Amino acid sequence: MSVLPSMIEIVRDNWLLLLVGQYPNGPLGGIAATLILSVLGIALAFPLSVVMALASLSPWRALRWPVMAMVYVTRGVPLLLIILWVYFVLPLLIGRSVPAFATMLVTLVGYEAAFLSEIVRAGIQALPTGQMDAARALGHSRLGAMRYVILPQALFNMIPSILSQFVSTIKETTLGYIINVPELTFAAGQINNRLLTKPFEVYFILAISYFVVCWTLTQAINMVERRITMRRTRDLAVSALTAIPASASGG
Amino acid sequence: MIRFVAVHKFFGALAALTDVNAEVKKGEVVVVCGPSGSGKSTLIRTVNRLEEIQSGSVLFEGRDVHGKLGGAALNHLRTRIGFVFQSFNLFPHLSALDNVMLSPMKVNGVKRSEAREAALRLLDRVGLAAKAQNYPGQLSGGQQQRVAIARALAMEPPAMLFDEPTSALDPEMVGEVLSVMRSLARDGMTMMCVTHEMNFARDVADRVWFMDAGRVLETGTPVDFFRSPQHPRAQRFLSDLHTR
Repeated sequence: MSVLPSMIEIVRDNWLLLLVGQYPNGPLGGIAATLILSVLGIALAFPLSVVMALASLSPWRALRWPVMAMVYVTRGVPLLLIILWVYFVLPLLIGRSVPAFATMLVTLVGYEAAFLSEIVRAGIQALPTGQMDAARALGHSRLGAMRYVILPQALFNMIPSILSQFVSTIKETTLGYIINVPELTFAAGQINNRLLTKPFEVYFILAISYFVVCWTLTQAINMVERRITMRRTRDLAVSALTAIPASASGG
Repeated sequence: MIRFVAVHKFFGALAALTDVNAEVKKGEVVVVCGPSGSGKSTLIRTVNRLEEIQSGSVLFEGRDVHGKLGGAALNHLRTRIGFVFQSFNLFPHLSALDNVMLSPMKVNGVKRSEAREAALRLLDRVGLAAKAQNYPGQLSGGQQQRVAIARALAMEPPAMLFDEPTSALDPEMVGEVLSVMRSLARDGMTMMCVTHEMNFARDVADRVWFMDAGRVLETGTPVDFFRSPQHPRAQRFLSDLHTR
């Protein structure tokens, strides 16, 4: 029995399902849903994480504690459990059912925001304290200093970390399978249920699909990282060059 | 204009400042000197409350900087005190021009066009009009410090504080920064400078304060201080300087 022709056949018969799920006859699914879920998850989590990071660095305990509690919970509890918890408890709390996609999105946003906020916090704390001193000495409020001086630098430095978190998010969307979110893993499950005898091939296709998406993104991240490093070293090279005429003319 | 009244500060058990009583008058240039670790930088940082104190008060224009001030009042007070750091602390993500323009616009609400005009004038004054579009990473240390002075002046403060402004510079760049400071002094700016540049102290200062172990041991005119220091510790400090 040959695996490769059989895999090609499965892809040929099901490529549309893998790409967009049941769409347009049903909800959007497949890789499209996975990517939308990840992009929305990070896009919504990011601003939330900045607010959380600022709260966790705040001098006021009332702001610090809720954020720290949330961070510790998300670190200490598996994502799958949080998904199940939100899935079963959120409808009870708000008194009506919540679509699986929305449940997954809310969970991802909260979960990613907690992790991202730690990245943002580290990025802020990694800057020299002189930056905050200088901004405060010029009369900026704490928030003003954050907005105009600290965050623009910290966030730029963190671009690679944020993108890595995006790749993690893509892999975490697979857990939506457990509450029937129609994403890529769910589509593969549907195909497997239909074929019954080809789990190896189906899940190998699934693995390759995730790998291609994540690997491509990781390569892109490496490129961005190289660009950032290059930009910094170029600045240093330029400053070494300009130092010579400057010292000749100054004094 | 700046008055220290019985200022005490501790880092844990270590006394950083002990019973400091001194005053910088309006239009005066005061140079604070003394050995490393004597508390000079700590003292100057208490003036705009970058350092807290444990007791006493620091008055700026008659207002107690360390008293019960709201956040907004403290921020406003800080706009009236220019501060120049040893390590420049320019904002590396902004060009020289934007470094100078940022605070007038965002803190004082000055219009962009006006802030830009003022910033270009100040950069010209420190001799860096040609470098307005350069980023700090593309400037030499001396140029960065001159931009930092322009940035502080942009808030139009009535007093300027300098915390070892030339200590992080290569020797050949010290002169360009000192000459900017000299021209400020000539224009009548009230200045308090922590520095090891004794020639600057001799030529420009109206008063010299000598500090050791967190105390201001001696204050006097440069002529008196350099010719006949009273305190034995100051005598030793000066003779160490001469024998170097």
